[in-house]
Amino acid sequence: MRGAIVGLTLIIGLIGSGILATSGPQPASPADAVGAAGVPSSVPDVLVSRQLLESQDLRIGDVVDLSPDPTAIGARSFQIVGVYEPVPDPTRFSAQRLEARLHLPDMLDLIADPDDPQATEAVDAINVALRNPAEETTFSRAIVRRVPGVSVRSTTRTDRGNPFIVLEQFHLAIAIVTILASTAFLLALMVMQSDERREMAGTLRLIGLKKSRVLTQVLIEGLIIATSGAAFGIVLALVSEEGFNRFFQWRYDTALVFVRISPTVAWQCVAMSVPLGIVASVVASWTLLRREVLALIRR
Amino acid sequence: MSSFVFAWYSLCRQPARAVLAIAGVAVIGALLFDMLLLSQGMLISFRGLLGEVGFDARVMATSSMPMTGARVGDAAATAAAIEALEEIEVVIPMRIDQAEVVLSERRPMDFTLVGSISGHGAWTVIDGADINQRKADGDASTIVVNRNLASALNLSPGQTVTVRSECLGRRSILPTVEFEVVGIATFPFDSESQLTAAATIADFDRACGGEQDQADLFLVASRSRVTAEAAVEAIQQLRPDLYVFSNDQLVDRFERVGFSYFRQISTVLATVTLTFAFLLISVLLSVSVNQRFAEIAALRAIGFGRRRVAADLVWESGLMVSIGGVLALPLGLALAIWLDRILKSMPGIPADLHFFVVQPQAVLLHIALLATAGALAAGYPVYLASRLPIASTLRNEVVG
Repeated sequence: MRGAIVGLTLIIGLIGSGILATSGPQPASPADAVGAAGVPSSVPDVLVSRQLLESQDLRIGDVVDLSPDPTAIGARSFQIVGVYEPVPDPTRFSAQRLEARLHLPDMLDLIADPDDPQATEAVDAINVALRNPAEETTFSRAIVRRVPGVSVRSTTRTDRGNPFIVLEQFHLAIAIVTILASTAFLLALMVMQSDERREMAGTLRLIGLKKSRVLTQVLIEGLIIATSGAAFGIVLALVSEEGFNRFFQWRYDTALVFVRISPTVAWQCVAMSVPLGIVASVVASWTLLRREVLALIRR
Repeated sequence: MSSFVFAWYSLCRQPARAVLAIAGVAVIGALLFDMLLLSQGMLISFRGLLGEVGFDARVMATSSMPMTGARVGDAAATAAAIEALEEIEVVIPMRIDQAEVVLSERRPMDFTLVGSISGHGAWTVIDGADINQRKADGDASTIVVNRNLASALNLSPGQTVTVRSECLGRRSILPTVEFEVVGIATFPFDSESQLTAAATIADFDRACGGEQDQADLFLVASRSRVTAEAAVEAIQQLRPDLYVFSNDQLVDRFERVGFSYFRQISTVLATVTLTFAFLLISVLLSVSVNQRFAEIAALRAIGFGRRRVAADLVWESGLMVSIGGVLALPLGLALAIWLDRILKSMPGIPADLHFFVVQPQAVLLHIALLATAGALAAGYPVYLASRLPIASTLRNEVVG
């Protein structure tokens, strides 16, 4: 009995789309599958993604028909010998990863046009690991020179069209706006706090403390408050990191990590928030300390 | 003196803190406004874009995006069969693939080659003629190119380009084909930097080495008296093996898959922004009330009731939030333009698609959310002020 038909992505050597048709329940063990279902031992192996296995209610040992044609013409049987978690891909995180991995010769047999002698000689991409990754540009130039028409792309693209870079810019823009708003509020709070301490500052000046001494005190206080705030912010981010990741991983059925509080990110936060806090304290207090002592104590 | 005027004087009495607080509300309000625009913007823009093209349904071989899934075979017969349905006005088959312009002294330039029927809105000619309006000189086929391709190669109608198709999925296999550029056209789903050209299906097949009779998708327009859903159902009954999507279904799918990340990010950021605004307004007002205990106690002593004091504080919060909220709108629009420009630099995003679209509902929701945040933020300061013991506060303040 032929079961559900579903479109999926075939990987290994050639990347294309195909159609999967389950051929009914099969025994769980691959060995049993061959005997019980009469599947010849030459049935090639296939790995399916966890998402495909779950969505089509497949099991290891099942025999499935794969075809590159939506009408299932030229379908061939494959036996599921394993399941895998697709490599998280940020550019496809919202897509359902219905994928299967075949041996390259099996895939070429499946999708190659028999009338095209070169069809079995073509691949979509060749992955290359360089001994020295720093020589990527030299390697790229050498390949383009020797094989005209081939394009070489680094896996660590940093150009503007990279969705990752774009999202990073977007989040950076949001962070800048948030910092601007925080600065305004922080300044407002510090102005209020300074105002509240007007008489205390006047008294300190009257008993002989210099402006610089009072300002140093304010600066140290600002440093303590800003450092505590930054530390609290980082702890809050670390605590919420797990929650964010779990939610988005559940939502998109992916192993992709969406939020990672790296030491660099933490240091960036500290480097921005601590000076900002100190400056806000000093600026707010300076407006107060500029006044005459008698004005401070309202006399 | 009314509560409103009293609250206004309270703000004016300390202009520095009032300006800073309003600036903070304006910036955070701008971010909130943008997140509200982002939450629906792309969907509204996508729906509008689909509507502008003028087709009700798309027919494909699989549920994958065009160019990533299998193609429909027997394209001509399939198009004819669908067009014969009484619900259907017109069917436009489309073939889309990569090709390259072969240049004598430079590396080939990749572009997207579309094979279709002209004159139905799949593209709009802005200069020169359409592909079926003019016969090319000699053996050359006709082609229309988009502005990007025209400016990249300095092309104008009448010039000839040498094209090699990649429809077999491999480079340097097929022979080159000469195309005469007959016009410059705009394509509704082109991204900012995309290079696109369109030819007839026959010429597309010719570039592919011979007749293929395949289509990546069919654009379908239903008759005016028929709904899109009825047209989709009729096609689905005729060809249950094909995937048929109405515009609404495409938008729905886009919402679930392509757009969900931005919708969720906007929800998260809007929630964080609102919480931030609530906390900060609340803290500002609470500190302000703490500093004005003596003043409030004196007002109570001379006859101001609890309600009146509470009303003064609510108005003060309301003024801060409303002035900040009004300033947030132009600020948010400017910010939206900046953020939209950043996000549109993602590859494959159509130039006419926008992430941030202004709609009355978003403005109303922005006002409602900020008003709620302002009202809630005034809650604790109002509680502090209304519970203030008059005599002991006055004594403490005077003795202190």
